[in-house]
Formats: sequence, C-alpha cells, structure tokens
Amino acid sequence: MTAMFRAVLFSQWKWSRLVVVLGTVAAFAIPLLSLQGAARVDRGALQAQELLRAVQSWGTLYPLLATALGLLMAIAAWAADHRGRHIHALTLPLERWRYVLLRFGAGFVLLAAPIAAVLIGSSLAVLTATLPTGLQAYPIALAARFAFAAFVAYALFFAVSAGTARTAGIILATIAALVLVQVVASIANIDLDLLSAAQTVLLLGPGPLAIFTGRWMLVDV
Amino acid sequence: MSKAFALLFATVLLASPLRSQDSLMVRLRNRADSLLRTWREAQLLADVADSLERVRATAGHDTIAVGGLRIIANPSPLPLREAAERAWPVIDSLYGSAAQDLAQHPFIIRAVDPDSGVRRTVLHVGIELPWDLDVRATTTALLTTVTAPHLDPALADWLGAALRPTLHPRDEPAAVFVQLVSAPSEAVRGCFLGDIARCKDVLQVGDTTGLLGRWYATPAEREALVTESFSDYFARSATAPSLQQCRQHRDDACTALLQSLPPGSLPRPLAQAARLLLVREVLRAGGRDAYQRLVARPGTSIGERLSSAAGLDIDSLVVRWRNDVLSARPRPLTLPWWASAAAIGWTAFFGFCALRSSRWRL
Repeated sequence: MTAMFRAVLFSQWKWSRLVVVLGTVAAFAIPLLSLQGAARVDRGALQAQELLRAVQSWGTLYPLLATALGLLMAIAAWAADHRGRHIHALTLPLERWRYVLLRFGAGFVLLAAPIAAVLIGSSLAVLTATLPTGLQAYPIALAARFAFAAFVAYALFFAVSAGTARTAGIILATIAALVLVQVVASIANIDLDLLSAAQTVLLLGPGPLAIFTGRWMLVDV
Repeated sequence: MSKAFALLFATVLLASPLRSQDSLMVRLRNRADSLLRTWREAQLLADVADSLERVRATAGHDTIAVGGLRIIANPSPLPLREAAERAWPVIDSLYGSAAQDLAQHPFIIRAVDPDSGVRRTVLHVGIELPWDLDVRATTTALLTTVTAPHLDPALADWLGAALRPTLHPRDEPAAVFVQLVSAPSEAVRGCFLGDIARCKDVLQVGDTTGLLGRWYATPAEREALVTESFSDYFARSATAPSLQQCRQHRDDACTALLQSLPPGSLPRPLAQAARLLLVREVLRAGGRDAYQRLVARPGTSIGERLSSAAGLDIDSLVVRWRNDVLSARPRPLTLPWWASAAAIGWTAFFGFCALRSSRWRL
C-alpha cells in the first residue's frame, strides 16, 4: 500500500508540480510583502494604522490562494484519469474507493508545501519586523486557517472533479434553479431571500465555506 | 493759503473712505440685527409649531408610567409596558437619581402598521414603531432613543454623542482599545503606554490650550492630517499654496493651515466612544447622584465636572479609564475549536462524497 501511495504521489507531483511550486512561492511571499516597511526605525504612530491596513489588504490573498491551490490540485489529480477515460485506473488491482483515497491523500501531502511556506514566511516576516506596541503577530493561527481553507477547497473540488458529468450538471442545475427561483420571487414581489439564506448556510457558523471568511490578519491588536 | 487748502483737501480725501467704511459697518450691523430678530421670530414660531405638533401627536393616546419613564402611545399590540419594565432598570442604573427627571420628557411613540403600503399622517415629534415588534426590539428602541436628562451643550459637545445605556457593554472598551493602539497620534500612543498626561490631552479633560500640538505632536502627523483629511478643504485658491508647501513636508505650512481651521473642527484623535466610556466610569464611581453632580455646574471645565461627579481626582479617573480599556483587549485572533472541527468535518464529508462517486459504475 505504501508503494502504491508513493507511486500515486509521484504521478500527482509530476502533474501538479508547477502549481505546487508557484503556490509555495506565493504562500511564502505574501506574509513577507504584507509586513514590508514594518521594520523601519522611524516608524511612528502613523504606521500602526498603515500597517494594519496593509496587513488587512494583503490578508484577502490568503483565502484566494487557498481556493486556487485547492481547485488546481483537485483538477490536476483527476485530469489524467479523465483524459484516459479511467482505463488505467480500471486496470489496477484496486477498489475504486482505495484508489480515490490514495489520490485524495496525495493531494493533502502536496498541499503541505504551501502551508509550510505560509508558516515559515509569516514567522520570518514577524521576526524581522518591529511591530508597534499593542499589536500582536499570529503566524501559527494564520497558517492553521490557511491549512484548513486549502484542505476544504481541495476536498470540495476533488469531490466535484471525481464525479461524473451528470453530477456536475446536477450541482450546476441546483445553483441555477436557486438563482431562477430568487429572480422569479423578486419579480413577483414575494418576500423570499434564498441567496441570503444560502449565504448564511454556506458562510456563517459551521458552514462549509465559513473558514474562508473572518479576519486573515498576520498582525492585529 | 494754498497750503491750508491742500491740507483741507487731503483731510476730506482721507475722511471720505473712513466715512464710507463707517457707514458700511453700520449697514452690516443693522443687517446682523435684522437677521437676529428674524431668527428669534423663527425660533418662536418653531416652538409654537413644536408645541402644537406635540398636542396633535399625543391627542387620544395612553400614558404608560414605569419608574421615571413616561410613554405616550396610541393603543396597539406593541409591548410597551413590558419593554419599559426591562428598559427602566438599565436607564436608572446609568442616570441614577436623575433618571426620575425623565418623567418631564415623555417618549412619544406612534405604533404603526408594519405594512408600509398603508398611508398615515406625518408627525414631526416622537418616534414611529411597527406594532409587531417584540419586547426585545421595543426595549432596544427605548434604550436607543432615551434622551439624557439636563445634558448641557458644553457636555454634549465634549461627548460628541448621546449618552445612552450601551447595548453591548464589552464592545465599547474593546473599540477604544483598538483606537489606542492604532490611532495616528503619538499622544494616543503615549496614553496607551501609560502617560496619563497624554491621556488627559486626548480626552480633553486637562489643559485645553494648544490642542494641535498636544494631539498631533509630530510634523508627520500634522502633514498626514492636512493631506488626508483636509486636502479638498485647503485646495481653495487662498490656501492652495500653503497646501502645496505642506505636501512638500513644510511643517510651518501644515501647522498654519490646521490653526486656520474654525474652532472645534480639528479632528479629535480619539473617537466619541473613548469619552463615553470615561463618563460611564465616572457614573459608576460616583454612585447614584453622580449624574446629578455631572450636570449641576455647566459653567465649569469638563475635568472638574467629571472629577466632582465621580468624587475622585481627574488623574485617578483617567487611570481607571485606561485600566478598563486595557483589560478589554479584543480576543486574540485564534481559530475557534469549532471552526477547526467544522473544517475537518467538511473535508471528510467531501472526501466521502468523492469515494462514493459513480464514475466507475459503467
């Protein structure tokens, strides 16, 4: 089983190495760039606010990067199988669920590189910066959030990508139906806010995309 | 003879513009007096209109009395009594003995049909509430519209906001903490670091002379203030050259521009929440009569009033305020355990969906 996992991991690395390398570089660079200028000696009271603004602006890139990594890794994991109409996979002496599990696990292992890059980049940025009194750095919390977001994005797109065209069609049709019902309800002046409800379910509390919301701040009060 | 004539001629020449200036002053004074008279008449008419409107708004209405609260409202299912019973202890705990004086300023509430399509007469006094509000929402409406009794203009001006019971007691000090850490002012930073004199400066409870230098101590702060907050204001032709100089890091130009601002328009380095919090601390420290003492002497300085209301010297008060703020540091930016658990759960769920995919069911 270990040999199989190694083989799947190697093949997946070959298909997605560009994504992994670029993602890792970006994940390392974003925290460093977000704290640029924070080590200036002449930094006064003005810079605390500027620093928070800069960190907040750069903070929007973390969830985007996590989503992009999850999406591209999931596509890369299945692209070769889709191209070969799964014939290679069917020839393997392996149940489908085991095969999927190996692919799934290999993706997680490859995601470890950008996650580690966020942690190392954040820690380095914080160590080299002189933060104004009252502000605190959260490199571990940021890296943990990034890791969970990347995992959720990867799992979501992996599931969609693993499905048939029919499954993807059903998902798209459901979303389209939701939008259509909302439009019709608005035209008919019916007090129905499906999109807000969907947003609440997806983005708030324990919703699947809740991890992407909130404050992605490397430095905060 | 010709010399005397020349002298006379010169005197006439010099006197004529002075005389015309004098007459201009008289004309302007007359105009100002006339405007004042008109303003007073308008004020009188407004008072009469207000009084008539009040009579119209309260005609045929019921009065609900709970503690010092008086609510005049039209009959409706709105749970005003229950809301007043909930609101009164909160209001009483803030204003103390002065809360009884609220009876002189009754709430005028018109419960209206929540259906916005129904037409109704427009009233200019009191508040309108949909009659389907629950007790909680009605209580909130009462707490957020109560008028602080006997609040004089000087105190109101210093506060910059209405002194009302706070709905989220923990949010206010946390917001002030964020201000102390991030406000673009060395004085505020000094206050955060424990310099009580700077705290008094930024709260405006000490010496209020030379506020510009006290609030915005460094040239960089003054330049930022001019170029970020007053850029449009100073871009007029008269001050445009100074603005240009200020942008070129000339502190004298920046300072001159800021000093030319009308009185009271220099932005305070701390927002109103900081001063509200200080007054809440005063009222807590001073007991039930603290508010009465606070509004008793409108002529004295704010520092003295706060000190007398709390029964503490102003330095001790500011220290207590600062300790309150520092202890209200917002929660650290860590991921809550349930968010981590939810993320792991969703990852497992989507993974399970992938495992169950029908791709190979040919």
